[in-house]
Amino acid sequence: MCLALPMLITAVDGALATIATAGLEQRASLMLVPDAKVGDYVLVHAGFAISVLDETEANETLDLLREITAFAADDGAEADDAG
Amino acid sequence: MTQADELRRLAADLRAEARPDLTFMEVCGTHTMSIARYGLRELLPDGMRLVSGPGCPVCVTAIADLDRVVALARLPEVTLATFGDLIRVPASRTTPAAERAAGADVRVVYSARDAVQIAADEPERQVVFAGIGFETTAPTIAASLLEARARGLTNFSVLSMHKTMPPPLKALLELGETPIGGFLLPGHVSVITGTACYEFLARDYGVAGVVAGFEPLDVMRALLRLVRQTRPAIEIEYGRAVRPEGNVVAQRLMEQVFAPSDADWRGLGVIPGSGLALRPEYADADAALRFPVELEPPLEPAGCRCGEVLRGVTDPADCALFGARCTPEDPVGACMVSSEGACAARYRYRGIDD
Repeated sequence: MCLALPMLITAVDGALATIATAGLEQRASLMLVPDAKVGDYVLVHAGFAISVLDETEANETLDLLREITAFAADDGAEADDAG
Repeated sequence: MTQADELRRLAADLRAEARPDLTFMEVCGTHTMSIARYGLRELLPDGMRLVSGPGCPVCVTAIADLDRVVALARLPEVTLATFGDLIRVPASRTTPAAERAAGADVRVVYSARDAVQIAADEPERQVVFAGIGFETTAPTIAASLLEARARGLTNFSVLSMHKTMPPPLKALLELGETPIGGFLLPGHVSVITGTACYEFLARDYGVAGVVAGFEPLDVMRALLRLVRQTRPAIEIEYGRAVRPEGNVVAQRLMEQVFAPSDADWRGLGVIPGSGLALRPEYADADAALRFPVELEPPLEPAGCRCGEVLRGVTDPADCALFGARCTPEDPVGACMVSSEGACAARYRYRGIDD
């Protein structure tokens, strides 16, 4: 339920951002983090960015995620609980 | 150093430094999942227990509330939109998914904003968003409701079953059934709330809390910080995302739309001030007021010990139904339905998470 993933803001159009992670691109609302800008990493939950991450730390998280994705490649456990 | 090396080092430090017979509780379904999936219990010192509390929003939703969801879904004019986790959860006599199969208009959305868009695209439908979730999710519902209002959509309403996290922690400590040596506090709830709302744990109950992220390293680092505290305090391990003051913009939006209310929790009963009801200014968008329905008395599933599991009193594997009558394919109780329920996580990763 409270799953939130770090994503990179690639474009901003008003209160909507285009966000990307690992080849996946989607839209998220910036209503909860109005100061977020292109180039920021944000945590995205249920279509809303909820926190701006420190870039260095976000990269560390993305590295971890890649390692974990490799570790659990056949495991789609979180596919249905984004909420 | 690889993550596996770092995990082993943290596990060794925990073994060296933890005093015996410590029980820690996590109160977030995403922690439940992470701990089970990566077999972190295997890494803990002998005698240290890590139990799940009331951190899975679907699991803690009372049967009577689920009955109302189903009753609204049955109304011919209503399109019921909700998160995927909710639709397979048994109400007293049926599930939202079963109602959908029987013809009800039930739609799974990723975001409450998607439900607002449905309301815009299909003005002849009454779109009811069944809102569950803690402080992480509630601001997104508040923002969506305000967006619907700004767009002049009068056919969008919210059935709020939202809850807040500090009150059940207090309720658990007051009950005193489980000796809790510290809490792994929920990372994404805390992104919104910050840490001030947890200070009472240390101040009034002498219980430590560390806000933890969701990677295996986060969980192990947070456990080590709990073990190393010489005086109970509230700390943040998940500093890359959580600020002590939280997300103030989100807090304001949540407060603008919702007011604290009494809420019924599976396993804990009614906890004063633990729910989020729509404020009177938003009564026209309150689905509970807009669509009054008669409900039959709720029926709890026979033999299900989900309530005890949610209080950390009963281990999932100690329930007689676990893995026999109750599996994720054919669940009896909510803790086996939601992918992040304590029972579902334990079942899915059996052999890893024992």
